[in-house]
Amino acid sequence: MTLFPKHKNIWQKIIMLCVDDVKEYIHRPLVLFSLLVAPLICIFFFTSLMMAGLPTDLPAAVVDEDDTQVTRSFIRTMDAMEQTDIVAHFHTFSDAREAMQRGEIYAFFYIPKGTTQEAISSRQPHVSFYTNETYFIPGALLMKDMRLSAELLGLSLTRETLYGKGLTPERAMGILQPIVIEKHPLGNPHLNYSVYLTNIILPGIIFILTMLMSSYVIGMEWKKNRQRQLYREVGYSQTTALAGKLLPITLIYSFFILFIDVYLYKYLEFPCHTGIFPMFVTGVMGVLASQGLAILVFGIFIGQMRFSMSVCSLWGILGLSLSGFTFPVSAMHSSLQTLCYLFPLRHYYLIYVNQALNGYPIGYVWSNFFALLCFMLVPFIVMPRYRKAFLVTKYKP
Amino acid sequence: MRYIRNILQVWYAELMQVSHNFGLIIFSVLVPLAYPLLYTFVYTGETVREVPVAVVDECHSSLSREFVRKVDACSEVEVLYRCDLAQAQELMRREEVYAVMRIPSSFGRDLAHGQQTYVSLYCDMRSMLYYKAALVAASNVSLDMNADIKVNNYLRPTTDRQAEIMKAPVTNSYVALYNPQSGVASFLLPAVLMLIIQQLLFLSIGTSMGVFREQNRGVGIPLSNPFYRSPVCIVLGKTAFYAPLFALIGVYMYGGVTSWFSLLSLGDYTTFLAFLVPYVLACTFMGITMSIFLFRSEDSMLLYIFMSVPLLFLSGMSWPVASEPMFWRCISWIFPSTFGTHGYARIMGTGATINEVAWEVRNLWLQCAFYFMTACAVYYYEVHRLEKRLRNNG
Repeated sequence: MTLFPKHKNIWQKIIMLCVDDVKEYIHRPLVLFSLLVAPLICIFFFTSLMMAGLPTDLPAAVVDEDDTQVTRSFIRTMDAMEQTDIVAHFHTFSDAREAMQRGEIYAFFYIPKGTTQEAISSRQPHVSFYTNETYFIPGALLMKDMRLSAELLGLSLTRETLYGKGLTPERAMGILQPIVIEKHPLGNPHLNYSVYLTNIILPGIIFILTMLMSSYVIGMEWKKNRQRQLYREVGYSQTTALAGKLLPITLIYSFFILFIDVYLYKYLEFPCHTGIFPMFVTGVMGVLASQGLAILVFGIFIGQMRFSMSVCSLWGILGLSLSGFTFPVSAMHSSLQTLCYLFPLRHYYLIYVNQALNGYPIGYVWSNFFALLCFMLVPFIVMPRYRKAFLVTKYKP
Repeated sequence: MRYIRNILQVWYAELMQVSHNFGLIIFSVLVPLAYPLLYTFVYTGETVREVPVAVVDECHSSLSREFVRKVDACSEVEVLYRCDLAQAQELMRREEVYAVMRIPSSFGRDLAHGQQTYVSLYCDMRSMLYYKAALVAASNVSLDMNADIKVNNYLRPTTDRQAEIMKAPVTNSYVALYNPQSGVASFLLPAVLMLIIQQLLFLSIGTSMGVFREQNRGVGIPLSNPFYRSPVCIVLGKTAFYAPLFALIGVYMYGGVTSWFSLLSLGDYTTFLAFLVPYVLACTFMGITMSIFLFRSEDSMLLYIFMSVPLLFLSGMSWPVASEPMFWRCISWIFPSTFGTHGYARIMGTGATINEVAWEVRNLWLQCAFYFMTACAVYYYEVHRLEKRLRNNG
């Protein structure tokens, strides 16, 4: 580490610290991996994994004990549906159940013997369908298709009766389905799962890496036992020392936030009503907020690098759940509903919904911006502890 | 006999190291005990009920009010406001409601004329679960009212039984097998629990390697310990420490966490154990293999923590395997967690016997064999480095 001449001003000191740090990173493959490769892997992984948007042609089966021309035509109709792919015909119910337990199919439709005959003679036959709900998304999607097929089966019989009475197709539809629900999924009309998940997971991973790397580079000073030297060189200012240490991380991860925004909203054309700039600003605030938390955690468990890193990583991973984008916060326990405000990702998510997804005025989420700002300022609470830490505290393994 | 003594010595050294290092205790004992509880607690609500919605009733007929009443009666949604469209939009912006149902002014007239009428459902897409709840409620009510309108206004049955048959010429029933409430916890947690085992094993083994290398000038073997000479013994000794520990944690998840939070538990204990053994062994051997990249005690966190999220999706529990691109499916076979999550979910969730998870168990054993060899290769390399180091020193 270079020794600074006395006359350098604070900005020069910070820049010198950054340059020194970057020189050090180059010799640590694993640090370079976390800084550069890990975000790239995640971006590539999540966008390519869910490229299809909504899963289609999910494997399902039928147990057709009736095996008539009517049921066969019904099965063909079901197979033609977007999400359903009938991959197997089983003879018995238990064969189908075992295939489900083997994970070969996600759902099956059961048509008992005599269904056609009972339907024609108005004896109200009963059909049933089963989905494997240990696989949530395919289960839900197949349930929707099978439900529709089952309803249509009944309606098609009534339709034949109505045609027989001499009604036109329009009249018949007015009788069969008088109330139609028109769906308007706002902002995500194709129910694209990638839009729904990737938008939050990717910044979430960036925030986790930011917290982890921030506590890592701060802790490294203690581990290498050069914290006093650093403190002396920056003129006994904790803020300058920490700013110089953390600035390279801020810049690198902010660049990835920009990359994610451009890639998702310009290249993949995910819905973004407000343009990239507000999302980029929010993302950078999220990165800074994560760094604020990392400084706070290290300040509390002063000198205990590995423990701070563990806390940061657990907090970051938990943030993905508690931000509420997979499972809504409103359905969680009331204590968690309060706790979730302590995660920067929660605020990022709410701002994203308001801005990019729905395009509402920014005033509705001022409190979330304020919260992110608070996270950015929170390190100043522990700054006095850092003074002692720089001067006295030793590395604790 | 000499080999057994070597293995026991390696096991003992690992035990001593973990018990004297607080960071290692965190990853090997405290986190595995606490994190599953915390995680389960987050998802223990299972489903979303009473999603707040606003209804814009522009018709104000008895039929439209019946529609609103029936929607409100659904467990999925709660009609919080009845207002005009502008107010409903404002409520959406303020996040007071997540969906708006709009009944057109022609609703009653259309139905009286025997024409189709369209009820619009506008839904905030912040969460698929809100959308699903609102859509299910609206669809169920429309199906129910459609059947009534059809029978009472047009088909004119003569008996009650005939009315029933006319409403539904073919009845149907839906059974959500293995997760009757379609809960999030029941589907997500088996995957998460198995992933926790793998990731924490990786972290513990990686951290231990980092600590050894820090203490022994870059070599992952204690310099002065004469028992660390045979790669196979070192691998077996380490495995003898970590595998039983995490197998116990697996049993804790199976027996403890699952029953405390009333998660699905249809599995059979012997099946579970027959599956857990290859899983923990495969994870251990892979963890030892990957530890070659780790030189400091913190390195393991940099490498493994971020991986947890992609691995959860790679396993195919959430995004279906059938829609996974082939490239990622092949990558997923590298990790034991892919087979671990599916196997555990099916044993616990669907009561699968060892025959139904044979594919997973076989692949786990294949991974065991492969990663055992790579793990031995890692320590062969380390022993080689150690010998070189000792020779150079004199």
